[in-house]
Amino acid sequence: MVGSRLNQTAASIDSGNAPLRFAMIGNPNCGKTSLFNCLTGARAKVANYPGVTVERRSGMISGLANNAELLDLPGTYSLFVTSPDEQVARDFILGNIQGEARPDLLIAVVDATNLRLGLRLVMELRSLNRPLILALNQMDAARKRGITIDTAGLSQDMGIPVIETVAVNSQGVDALKHELDQYTHHQAGDTQRLTLSDRQESVEAIYDKIESLVRAHVTQPANMPRWQDRLDQVVMHPVLGLMVLFSILLVVFQAVFAWATPIADSMDAGFGVLGGLLTQILPAGILREFLVNGIIAGVGGVIVFLPQIILLFLFILLLEDSGYLTRAAFLLDRPMRGLGLSGRSFIPLLSSFACAVPGVMATRTISDPRERFITIMVAPLMTCSARLPVYALIISAFIPRQTVAGIFNLQGLTLFGLYFAGVVSAALVAWVMRRRQTREEFPLLLELPSYRWPMAYHVYIGLRERVWIFMRRVGTIILSLSIILWFLATYPGAPAEATRPAIEYSFAGMLGSWMEPLFAPLGFNWQMCIALIPAMGAREVAVSALATVYAVAGGELALGSALHSSWSLPVAFAYLAWFVYAPQCISTIAVVKRETNSLKSTALFTVYLFGLAYLAAWVTYQISALLIH
Amino acid sequence: MNSAVFPDARHAASARLDQCRKGATLRVIGLLPQSLFGSNDEQVGLRLKELGFLPGAQLKVIGFGLFGGDPMAVQINGTKFALRRAEAAKICVEEVTVTGGR
Ligand SMILES: Nc1nc2c(ncn2[C@@H]2O[C@H](COP(=O)(O)OP(=O)(O)O)[C@@H](O)[C@H]2O)c(=O)[nH]1
Ligand SMILES: [Mg+2]
Repeated sequence: MVGSRLNQTAASIDSGNAPLRFAMIGNPNCGKTSLFNCLTGARAKVANYPGVTVERRSGMISGLANNAELLDLPGTYSLFVTSPDEQVARDFILGNIQGEARPDLLIAVVDATNLRLGLRLVMELRSLNRPLILALNQMDAARKRGITIDTAGLSQDMGIPVIETVAVNSQGVDALKHELDQYTHHQAGDTQRLTLSDRQESVEAIYDKIESLVRAHVTQPANMPRWQDRLDQVVMHPVLGLMVLFSILLVVFQAVFAWATPIADSMDAGFGVLGGLLTQILPAGILREFLVNGIIAGVGGVIVFLPQIILLFLFILLLEDSGYLTRAAFLLDRPMRGLGLSGRSFIPLLSSFACAVPGVMATRTISDPRERFITIMVAPLMTCSARLPVYALIISAFIPRQTVAGIFNLQGLTLFGLYFAGVVSAALVAWVMRRRQTREEFPLLLELPSYRWPMAYHVYIGLRERVWIFMRRVGTIILSLSIILWFLATYPGAPAEATRPAIEYSFAGMLGSWMEPLFAPLGFNWQMCIALIPAMGAREVAVSALATVYAVAGGELALGSALHSSWSLPVAFAYLAWFVYAPQCISTIAVVKRETNSLKSTALFTVYLFGLAYLAAWVTYQISALLIH
Repeated sequence: MNSAVFPDARHAASARLDQCRKGATLRVIGLLPQSLFGSNDEQVGLRLKELGFLPGAQLKVIGFGLFGGDPMAVQINGTKFALRRAEAAKICVEEVTVTGGR
């Protein structure tokens, strides 16, 4: 440990005082992230670029003589950008991002099966006169298609090193590292920023050069593999394709809610046992209460939803890696355009089912600013995984486990209904917003990448990253909210002559009774009001907040029956309706603020969602109260 | 808007890409202006060129969406793209009858 630290220090003195910075750039889907994982041993640090929320993935390259940091840039077709994420890639390369030093070397990644498009960007990069290495990735797929490339000739004619790589099995990665080892020093002297004044060469001239390069060094058969085209005949068929799409979505939701339940249940039971054990071992007192009611009930109540979250992200990763998602975008473009959205908004909206924060960030691939704005506004209406715990708790407490029409489970149908309500509301809101303004059109111009088998390893890495982000959230925000809440619900204790439950005398009790009149028209009691407050930090905390205020520590089942005996059915429905729209958690509001960069938009966003939530809960409460009595 | 110049694919050699049928093999002749894109039209044209829609390039129409045949999917230089009718109408093409080769 100490030794390696010393080595690092020596190396960094050797090469200036900061590690070398290499950046990976290329078209979307050429394999940048896969190659990044190979080079860094999949130890990515995921953060954001300063000031913007494009994910910044960086890691140290393992096995190089010098310390070197590698950055995975957003995919781009050109340095003449048309969308915000391409802008980030360009600004980074040019050194125009505040607080980010310009990279010392660019690794241009090109998909060997899609050579011309990739080489075009490389030609542009080459004209910047920066150190540049070309990684010809996906060579396995290229060989399989009968494409042969004379790498040495290509390298000579282009004047840059060319390395063949296969990111999925790390072939060529050592050769790439060997090449990287030739760069030992920061680029001395040239600290002036690069500029992109005007195109120095016309697109035609660049393509002419590429054509002659390809003619000289590449032989390729004319046709794509037949199975790809056959698959597209079905998947992109106007009618069959939509059927395939809806079947896939159905399977995803079914899986998330049916397959994950047994695992979640056993985890829940585990936390119940742990709580019971602690109750037996520890002496009665404040420490025991803190551990059992504060920590285990709070954090455990949220962790049990990890299996569902993993499954949802797994499906999204699989669909994305296989190349299917863009086909879905193709199919849905026209119907979504009627709402002021487009096929490009489909992917951010789908990610929002996992969490609105990456969803809102993913809108950076949308070039039309109005469409992007609308997508951001409606993204949180897609039911995120943090709302799932709340839905699951209330549904299992109030909706009977009944089969309707032979195959459908009533609880599942209710859940589907809640998701559906979110989607329909999003459509309505988008439609209303679209009507405010006529606008000029923006192009779709979406590449439909070839289909690929998702690689287990890279899917695993992607999943691990998501799980880590979730666990970090549990360990920080959710843990601290649980502790604060427990404190508020415990102090001050009940006076000696108390006749009512202790919690009514606590801070939480007071807070709840102040809020109660405001929420009385919705049928919410003061316990429900209290749970709304920490839910603004993280929605899933509503579950543990209810556990704390109802003072149950025996897993979800016990809490469910406590709720069942204290809420009427219309109240439960109203609470569900509230959660379809609100509360927007603080992180969502913050990401909207950063992405729109406008206080007015953020205020509009927050107010309209709270307004909708109040209205929907009120209507639900009044109508279902009428129907049930 | 330029339909006077390209009255009918059967008589004139050229047509706009959005008028072509599924399965057609075509060659790009050039790009036309498109008023729907307003001030962005030049940029859209550039991006189309960057993606390979340049005179001489061969492409194939591989499909249409359900609603109004929009968007359409084409394959050019071995890469597939989804284009809306508005973009496709910028691309002036002629039919290629021979099989393969450029
Ligand atoms: N066959 C093959 N597939 C690859 C290779 N590199 C990446 N892929 C696949 O290509 C897809 C896109 O890769 P990704 O790294 O996400 O590309 P990015 O968009 O450039 O970051 C994934 O399905 C990868 O599994 C490769 O060398 N060979
Ligand atoms: Mg990537």
